[in-house]
Amino acid sequence: MVSAADDGRTELTAVVVDDHPAIRAGVEYWLSTASPPITVVAAGEDVKVAWTEPGDSADVVVLDLHLSGPTPAMGDLRRLANAGRHIVIYSMRGDNDIALQCLELGALSYLTKAEGEGHLVEAVSTAAHGRPYTPPTLAGALVGDRSQFRPALSARESEVLVEWFQSESKEFVARRLGISTSTVNSHLERIRVKYARIGREAPTKASLVARAIQDGIIGVDEL
Amino acid sequence: MDDGTVGVLSPHRQADRVLAVMRVAVFVVSLSVQFGLCWIPLFYYRHEYRPAWLAPAAFAVFALVTLVSGWWVLRRRRPPGVFVASSIAVLFCASTVATAAVPAGGFFGAPHWSFGLVGWQLLMLLLDRPMIVIVSALGGHILLSVLQFGLAGLPGRIELGAAAITLISVSSFQLAIAVMCRTHYRRALLAGAMAAERERLATEKAVAEQLNDEQRVRFAGQLGSMLPLLVGVADRTLDTRTDDVRRRCAVAAAQLRRLFAENDDVPDPLVHELSACIDVAERRGLGVSLAVSGDARPVPKIVRRELTQPVMTALALARSTARVTVLRTEDAIRVAVVADAARQDVALAPSALIEVECFTLEQRVWVEARWCPRQMTAGPS
Repeated sequence: MVSAADDGRTELTAVVVDDHPAIRAGVEYWLSTASPPITVVAAGEDVKVAWTEPGDSADVVVLDLHLSGPTPAMGDLRRLANAGRHIVIYSMRGDNDIALQCLELGALSYLTKAEGEGHLVEAVSTAAHGRPYTPPTLAGALVGDRSQFRPALSARESEVLVEWFQSESKEFVARRLGISTSTVNSHLERIRVKYARIGREAPTKASLVARAIQDGIIGVDEL
Repeated sequence: MDDGTVGVLSPHRQADRVLAVMRVAVFVVSLSVQFGLCWIPLFYYRHEYRPAWLAPAAFAVFALVTLVSGWWVLRRRRPPGVFVASSIAVLFCASTVATAAVPAGGFFGAPHWSFGLVGWQLLMLLLDRPMIVIVSALGGHILLSVLQFGLAGLPGRIELGAAAITLISVSSFQLAIAVMCRTHYRRALLAGAMAAERERLATEKAVAEQLNDEQRVRFAGQLGSMLPLLVGVADRTLDTRTDDVRRRCAVAAAQLRRLFAENDDVPDPLVHELSACIDVAERRGLGVSLAVSGDARPVPKIVRRELTQPVMTALALARSTARVTVLRTEDAIRVAVVADAARQDVALAPSALIEVECFTLEQRVWVEARWCPRQMTAGPS
């Protein structure tokens, strides 16, 4: 899968998989009015729209985990991640466990529907470039992670997650901790790189780590 | 054993007390029968008993059994089983001896004074035993006496009739008393059980009333801080158009709602109480979002009260939006509020149980209440 940035294309595209037409329409509207705009090339209630023309070539898959059933669509997520697709999970549920499981399977972002337009647009546009986005709820899940194989985070990294979870404002986090907004971002990215290295392998996770090394966010010796 | 504690006696002990009194009555009857009635024929027919010493000796044995029983009976104690068993054996022997000494033609008549007495004594010893035991003992004694009566020679029809009348009247009277005592005992048992049940209900009621009173006092205690506010609003010394009064009212309303939520039986009391505070804020038109990370853990009520207080204060300061977060990690429980506050001066009461931190940035205020359970168990810092 070649991301928009690598391709040299300027137009970003997405496919929306959600069983509620109002959500599909809302997401499409938010993305189309973003700056730069993101074009929704296909939208549907079934995940097959992401596998067929024209959805199969979209930069990002915005996936609702609960597609007309009580069980989360983890299988669909895994298959999309194995195919190297950039996935943003957009879910009703805010459970820490499900969010962490989605990251492990290779999702680049996990958003709850309580999180608004700003976070969704940012998550989709960063995912289009193969980068992770950690919205506040996901930050809360990461800092509350008590699983056995969780990566070791530094005290500062944990504090960034906590403050971001609480305030939803990177400027606020930066001012509170006396650092710059870009440092807040690189902390969040470093945390995501650490998470990308645990659990099962996925192409998106591998490229996420490679890109972080390339960008100097994390050193090879740190891995 | 303590008779002063009637209220806490079990139904069985209540009934045993009734039985003890009845045993004393039967003891008095035995004593009266022996020393009031029996000695008269013993003295009157003293020359007719063969051998002559046998009847007075049996009388002495009966007296001994009665008097020794009195040691327990008069103290309202149950005579020990070993004593009862040996006494019955002794009574049967003494009765056989006394009956054997009765002159011919005296069976079940005046010279046969021991027959009625043994019945009363058996009743006294066995009063607390099941009816079947009492009937067996009395029946055994009658059988023994009748056997001796028969062995002493074929009685005439008149003799037989007289004997039967005595036998039936004495035995049926004793049996009737036994039945009466047992019935009385069962009634006492029932009454005791009912009294115990009533006692239990009364205790339950008292405990419930106590709890209710405590709750009322606690509510009143918390209302105490609100009363001056209510009085001020009522007599218009406080102007509800001012921000300060409105903020105080908002905090008071949230405190009340939280207080009501405190006693609800819910799986996650902390989030439940926070939701109550948020509910009050939302009624003011505030847009509040709540995010929770981490599973519910037990938090003492007093700590929950402390954790929610800064939230209420911060929410009261908010102008239009606020975000409340609960973060539960291994080491700490952190409750935070970020709100667009109209004022920067957040007055937070200091707490010995939790750490409270406040930070303001331009028009935003951040308040965090943090509780570290491990530090608490190690001793408050």
